[in-house]
Amino acid sequence: MIIKSNPDEIQNYLTDASNYSGKCEAVYIPESEQEIVEIVSRCNADKTKITVAGNGTGLTGGRVPEGGIVLSTEKLNKILEINSNDKYAVVQPSVLLNEFQEEVESRNLFYPPDPTERNCYIGGTVATNASGARTFKYGPTRSYVLGLKIVLPDGRKLRIERGQFIADGSHAIIPTEDGSIISFELPNYEMPATKNAAGYYCKEKMDMIDLFIGSEGTLGIITEIKLKLIDLPKNILSCIIFFNSQEDALDFVEEAVRLSRYTDDSIISARGLELFDKFTLKFLRSDYSNIPENAEAAVWFEQEIDGNEDELISEWMELISKHNGMEEDSWIANDRKEMDKFKDFRHAIALKVNDYMSQRGLKKVGTDVAVPFESFKGFYFDTIKLVCEAGLNYVVYGHAGDSHIHLNMLPDNAEQYNKAIETYRQICSNAVKLKGTVSAEHGIGKLKREYFKLMYNDDVIKKMALIKLAFDTNRILNIGNIFDEKYLT
Amino acid sequence: MKIAVCLNHVPDTASKISVGQDNQSIDTSGVTFVVNPYDEFAVEEALKTKEKVGGDTVVISLGNDNNKESIKKALAMGVDNAVLLKTNEIYDSLSVAKILANEIKTQNAEIVFFGKQSVDYDNGAVGQMCAELLGYNSVSVVVGLEINGNKVRAEREIEGGREIVETELPVVITTQKGLNEPRYASLKGIMAAKKKIIDEKIPENCSNYTETISMKKPPAKQPGRIIGTDATAVPELIRLLKEEVKVI
Ligand SMILES: Cc1cc2nc3c(=O)[nH]c(=O)nc-3n(C[C@H](O)[C@H](O)[C@H](O)COP(=O)(O)OP(=O)(O)OC[C@H]3O[C@@H](n4cnc5c(N)ncnc54)[C@H](O)[C@@H]3O)c2cc1C
Repeated sequence: MIIKSNPDEIQNYLTDASNYSGKCEAVYIPESEQEIVEIVSRCNADKTKITVAGNGTGLTGGRVPEGGIVLSTEKLNKILEINSNDKYAVVQPSVLLNEFQEEVESRNLFYPPDPTERNCYIGGTVATNASGARTFKYGPTRSYVLGLKIVLPDGRKLRIERGQFIADGSHAIIPTEDGSIISFELPNYEMPATKNAAGYYCKEKMDMIDLFIGSEGTLGIITEIKLKLIDLPKNILSCIIFFNSQEDALDFVEEAVRLSRYTDDSIISARGLELFDKFTLKFLRSDYSNIPENAEAAVWFEQEIDGNEDELISEWMELISKHNGMEEDSWIANDRKEMDKFKDFRHAIALKVNDYMSQRGLKKVGTDVAVPFESFKGFYFDTIKLVCEAGLNYVVYGHAGDSHIHLNMLPDNAEQYNKAIETYRQICSNAVKLKGTVSAEHGIGKLKREYFKLMYNDDVIKKMALIKLAFDTNRILNIGNIFDEKYLT
Repeated sequence: MKIAVCLNHVPDTASKISVGQDNQSIDTSGVTFVVNPYDEFAVEEALKTKEKVGGDTVVISLGNDNNKESIKKALAMGVDNAVLLKTNEIYDSLSVAKILANEIKTQNAEIVFFGKQSVDYDNGAVGQMCAELLGYNSVSVVVGLEINGNKVRAEREIEGGREIVETELPVVITTQKGLNEPRYASLKGIMAAKKKIIDEKIPENCSNYTETISMKKPPAKQPGRIIGTDATAVPELIRLLKEEVKVI
């Protein structure tokens, strides 16, 4: 085990990609599950707070400590097994997602969850139930977690497989490895039917493994993960289509979603549908000079080809021309390399915006809201109107197929920043009114707790806190994630 | 005006390359092949040139059936016609140049584009050799190009600056990164490419001018040495840089 306490050496562990930063006394880097048990047991005895660190790509301050120690899982980074016959893999938490996916794909297998930032640990993606473009077809990380090994905040160990512990109505019973039992009542609240990463996953008769996925490290430290794999789809149609108007682009997305999800006899079945608005394209133009001058929006879509390619392309072409897409200027990836370039195009924007703002010493204010499909278009234009009325610059991009957008407001000064925060709150509140979520994929962490309260009243949040207390009586693990410490009484 | 572009199908630079059992060629199993990256600039420039001066474009590639993958990409980008000079032989630069020059002559092409080098053997010679064999003018490593009537004005990268070369058609241009941004194919382009026919020809037999005696991988890099992890290691580090590595 490595222990670091030199300020220079622990600097990196005090922040994440949100730039929120905190403090801690030391960083513990265990090299085995046993060492994790030792650290946790000791901290539990003297009530020292522990914050679990993944690779720090989170956007909500989830891994940022506010005192106590940091426990980094970085040394637990081995792929333990890839089973091609039964199509599963067993990994330690700090295997990098992109390296795992490469390894799996080299064996003709496929692990679909693809958050735009793939330089994250698999443990981090399970803790936040990460999702990405392909979630449109394949669902979020949750759909691929078959089993977890967890060290609980008091040092007990838990091993849980999907299908093993099912709640008896709203009564949850989870046996730990030493034979003791954790039991509690599951609160009854409605979760948004959208893609969602806000708060605990709770419902009657649930599979208890789902409680841990997306719980942002508040219930235990994930030390091993068993993941479901599927066969690698070989032929993929990957295109970027430009539009002269945003309306056209949104109509195109809407119809593509309808055909993909709700129309049985259509051969159109996208696996991802991503939107870029005109300001996003403006940012990207310096690196991608081929973006047509008059493009006001773009949509990137992917579909796996398993039938007649010509027929499929014709169907898409029809849809593109119906919605006035710039067919001649569309981009289609010819090979794997170009497919990756399109992925980079999508990844580049988040980084470019962050660079642009940090170079100016400014902070962006970015949404992670999703709403139900029926409300998406109206919500989209209402949101843009709000931001324009506030006089703020912005860019919008994101997983439009899942009715989930990242609208980044780019304030120029402190006054505008406050305005952006106010607008952000209004956007979240509008999303919640439409039965949407304030966080579809990044989680709540420490930075979105206020907005989480727009989704659930104090009473519900207290019930969630009771779940945490069932695992963490001494209130030591990832304190401050999802809800404020004050709820833990 | 006929505009030709010569295209090679090469191992992706990201692939791990190992030497084959014969110790004379690379083992291609598990290696992904792609359009030679510099040739993508050549294809783009051929298309832009056609858009400006008119004419017909043809892509010429020497290799086996696998090259069709790269040829199809050029067709989808918008090249009009394609010739595959089909062979399983591995030729050296001069032989390749001879075979291609023959075909360029048959095609009667006056403007010919090549990538500045092909990233498989990295000799960077075929374009210029072809020009010599055809008696064409030649400008290599080009990053800017204008063609007006018979006149050609090309910018090429030289150490520390750019050189402007003026010449006349017929000309061979080898293209360098920076000349243009290769377009992506459009859906229409892909559909159109499916209807285009690749003209397969057997190249005249040609013997190599060089002989590969054996191939071997460069010796593995020595692992790094960690001298220490904090400031106390600095004096030792300086000593080693001075006395052992002799860089300061
Ligand atoms: C440019 C960019 C794009 C992004 N795009 C997406 C996207 O498309 N979709 C998406 O979902 N996210 C996205 N993210 C957010 C981020 O990449 C994900 O949240 C990722 O899952 C975090 O992984 P990490 O290893 O970096 O975790 P960290 O940031 O280190 O931690 C995240 C949370 O997980 C907890 N945690 C980490 N490991 C464990 C463990 N072993 N046990 C218990 N708890 C643990 C931490 O305590 C923390 O609360 C993006 C981020 C960036 C910077």
